[in-house]
Amino acid sequence: MRRALHAEWTKLRTTPGTGLLLLTVVAATVGIGVLASAVTDCRAGGCTVDLAKVSLTGVQLGQAVVAVLAVQVIGAEYSTGMIHLSLTAVPRRLTVLAAKALVLTAVVTTAAAAGVAGSLLAADRLLPLAVTDAAVLRAAAGSVLYLVLVGLLALGVTTAVRNPGAAAGLVLGLLYLFPLIGLATTDPDFRRHLDQIGPMAAGLAVQATTGLDSVAVSPWRGLAVLGAWAAAALLAGGLLIRLRDA
Amino acid sequence: MNETSIVVSGLRKRFGPTLALDGMSFTVGPGQVTGFAGPNGAGKSTTMRIVLGLDAPDEGSALVGGRPYRSLPCPLRVVGSLLDAGALQPGRTARNHLLWLAHSQGLTAARVDQVLEQAGLTGVARRRAGGFSLGMRQRLGIAAAMLGDPPVLMLDEPFNGMDPEGIVWIRGFLRALAAEGRAVLLSTHLMSELQDTADHVVLVGRGRVLADRTMPELLARHGSLERAYLELTRDAVEFRAAGSPEASR
Repeated sequence: MRRALHAEWTKLRTTPGTGLLLLTVVAATVGIGVLASAVTDCRAGGCTVDLAKVSLTGVQLGQAVVAVLAVQVIGAEYSTGMIHLSLTAVPRRLTVLAAKALVLTAVVTTAAAAGVAGSLLAADRLLPLAVTDAAVLRAAAGSVLYLVLVGLLALGVTTAVRNPGAAAGLVLGLLYLFPLIGLATTDPDFRRHLDQIGPMAAGLAVQATTGLDSVAVSPWRGLAVLGAWAAAALLAGGLLIRLRDA
Repeated sequence: MNETSIVVSGLRKRFGPTLALDGMSFTVGPGQVTGFAGPNGAGKSTTMRIVLGLDAPDEGSALVGGRPYRSLPCPLRVVGSLLDAGALQPGRTARNHLLWLAHSQGLTAARVDQVLEQAGLTGVARRRAGGFSLGMRQRLGIAAAMLGDPPVLMLDEPFNGMDPEGIVWIRGFLRALAAEGRAVLLSTHLMSELQDTADHVVLVGRGRVLADRTMPELLARHGSLERAYLELTRDAVEFRAAGSPEASR
């Protein structure tokens, strides 16, 4: 496993574009976060919105970049045929997948932490938000975990479908489909159900710091729903890569 | 069986309606170059993919150094292989391509530089492999196969895209590897190259072995390897143009 990890780290490090994608994760997260914080006006009669959630809005764009990076981690190997070489070098296929998951987790955690910290620093200046509040810190840490789980979901899906284009479409579809159905529906109960099971809506519940008694799903439980999606995707990918001919 | 060899026994493999392998059995011994030839669709690539654990056979087994490939802890130190020279990330440099492979086997950058030198790629080591010609990619693939200094080598069509100088180089290189006692399996459609390189030939067709003989035996019986090939595979060709000399026989 140590050798497989070393190999995957070398691969990721020497893939052109990895650094740029990680910087884009940070820039997208902070950029949209700053924008959202800047346009929120709390002077007249105080704020009714969840300020922590507002300051972390950028995560919703950052996740798309994380998904693209995660798809590339194994999708590029399938499109070039290099996966055969990887599996020839490390015939234990679950070890290859686990090593990829670990290096991906490491780099996404770093980029996500930078993006989330940047968003909170901006919010600290722009909004009347106590960023050291326990609930705000939970929303911040949860957002980092959210981005990591989106990455693992994308890795699992790509391993299962073996085609980077199809995988990117599937992952983004999975993330944005539930909110879109929610927009199209008028039934509040149905919409609440969608928010409880959709990977994006449920996962982002971890950013909620106000009105916690009326949310569709509680913060950590919501993140656990996304965790279940990611686990299911990795399980499917793991089973298929193990059982299928390469 | 010998530690430095490939033993393929009774392989069967079906892809949907196609029976790709139908009882493929042969041995690749140490200290010689074994040619692996046969018409398109004969099952050469499938056999090599099964030896490397990429495909699972429906029946039979393939052992390398007495063990199934998937059970080898550092497989590249046992078998070096080149199946598809194009299978690389085009944006990565030649050296970094070999570096991740080296790291996967617990080898260092120093070994990478050695094989780059051996394959004549030192001058282009830091260039993107995506810009390489097929011949240069073949050299890179051979460098990758040599990384683990393996006792067994398995190369699929390494002459493809090589310039004449490269062809001469591979021929000498493979002869030298066999002289060092390594087992070399060389798959190719180039009968003249094979005649000059191999000591032994396994001819296959329709998923099974048609002939498994030493080069002197084949030459004595058929005159040239090309004639031996055409005569022995006559009934095993899957794809043949109408009007070709073999079609009218």
